[in-house]
Amino acid sequence: MRAVISVSDYLNLANHALRTIPTENMVIEGEVADYKVSQGKWVNFDLKDENAEAKISCFMTTFALTVPVANGMRVQITGYSKVFERFGKFTFNVSEVALVGEGALQKAYLLLKEKLKLEGLFDIERKRSIPQFPNRIGLITSSEAAAYGDFLRILNNRWRGVTVLHVPVYVQGQYAVGEILAAFAQLNALSGADRPDVIVLTRGGGSLEDLHAFNSEEVARAVFQSEIPVVVGVGHERDESLCDFVADVRASTPSNAAERVVPDARSIMSEISMDVDRVGDQLQFILDRCAHSVDRSVNILDRSIARVTESIASVTQRFGYAFERFRLSLVATIDHVDRRTQTFNGAVARIIEASQRSIGELERVLKSVDPKEVLRRGYALVRSGKRIVRHSGDVAAGERLAIQLADGSISAIVEGNARQESLL
Amino acid sequence: MVKKQTFAEAFAELEAITEWFETQNVDLDEGVKKFERGLELAKMLKEKLADVENTVVTLKKKFAVIDGQSGDSEI
Repeated sequence: MRAVISVSDYLNLANHALRTIPTENMVIEGEVADYKVSQGKWVNFDLKDENAEAKISCFMTTFALTVPVANGMRVQITGYSKVFERFGKFTFNVSEVALVGEGALQKAYLLLKEKLKLEGLFDIERKRSIPQFPNRIGLITSSEAAAYGDFLRILNNRWRGVTVLHVPVYVQGQYAVGEILAAFAQLNALSGADRPDVIVLTRGGGSLEDLHAFNSEEVARAVFQSEIPVVVGVGHERDESLCDFVADVRASTPSNAAERVVPDARSIMSEISMDVDRVGDQLQFILDRCAHSVDRSVNILDRSIARVTESIASVTQRFGYAFERFRLSLVATIDHVDRRTQTFNGAVARIIEASQRSIGELERVLKSVDPKEVLRRGYALVRSGKRIVRHSGDVAAGERLAIQLADGSISAIVEGNARQESLL
Repeated sequence: MVKKQTFAEAFAELEAITEWFETQNVDLDEGVKKFERGLELAKMLKEKLADVENTVVTLKKKFAVIDGQSGDSEI
């Protein structure tokens, strides 16, 4: 009778058997292929023989990864094998990875650098600028390191009023990567007034092994993914790390990180003074310009007033002249009229005088021809009826005549008429 | 009276005033107002720089926040 057991039970047996394979004094050497990190934590890769078609699926966490690993690298791994129940897959649980060969670490570093570069983690276009005056600075470094003291000393020398949120982490060793990743997560999770404006990741210089955490793919990706801009300052001038390339701002040292993250108060002070001076100068310039324009307006006004005054004076003067002329012509007219009147009066008087003289003469003439005067001198006026008899032939015998004398008249009858020879 | 403003905001305002004087056809009344505001801002900025110290707060893992003294606290 064969025993019937479950899948789980069988896998338990298999795993039990696998654990009997000795591991202490054995490492497996091969080439890394299909290297993957998921959720910033789980590492999967295949370890292959160079020549034979053989591979082992390897699994580990980033926390156990103390060297940069990339495809094509030769590594030695230690650990134990297991069949994962859920996937039914034979897997080697890696507890330690060591790089193989002279310069392997350097080579691995270069490989990873190339890979991240191709992915665009170093692209200039994605670099964010950090605020000119940060209020809160997230600081990821070890409390014990000189870097911490250097950073704060330079920060305090340069600037005031900043709150530094320090997350103490190991910057090397097996816990470094995990702690740095956690610190990034912690700072990025802060919100509102607590949230830092910039994160500074810094440590002193060291060997490539010392800088492992700063060259790890996970930390590089954490810098890349941080929503808060990141300044990375590692070691001395000649040191470089992958985080440097990913950082939004790359500082050469911890001190330089402080210089990059805050301005120098002295230069800001002088900038403020210059701003104020400049604004003051500009205002003075405007005041001068306004004063000048007021002067000009006053001048224009003065000139206008002068012109008006002048023209009033000129009108008044012309009016004066005109009035004088008018007065003179009036006086002349009055004189003229006077003279004319006198002349006229004289003429009238002369005419009257002359007329009176003429009338006297006429009177005398008239008197001399007055018939009564003539009658008084002895002459008579003979009428026949109403008619004056002028010629002897005008009457006939027997005709009644009236003879008018000076003092009366006589009735007579014609006896005869003869032609008068002479009167006397 | 300067309202509650961050250093960055006050500095940006001062810069804006300076730029305004450089680029605008400045009206005198407005200019005097802005000049006074600029002086006020400059005074406030200088005071902020002169008086305040930096503060270091050490964050414990898992978000515990402990206030430190200015300078170099280590917790």
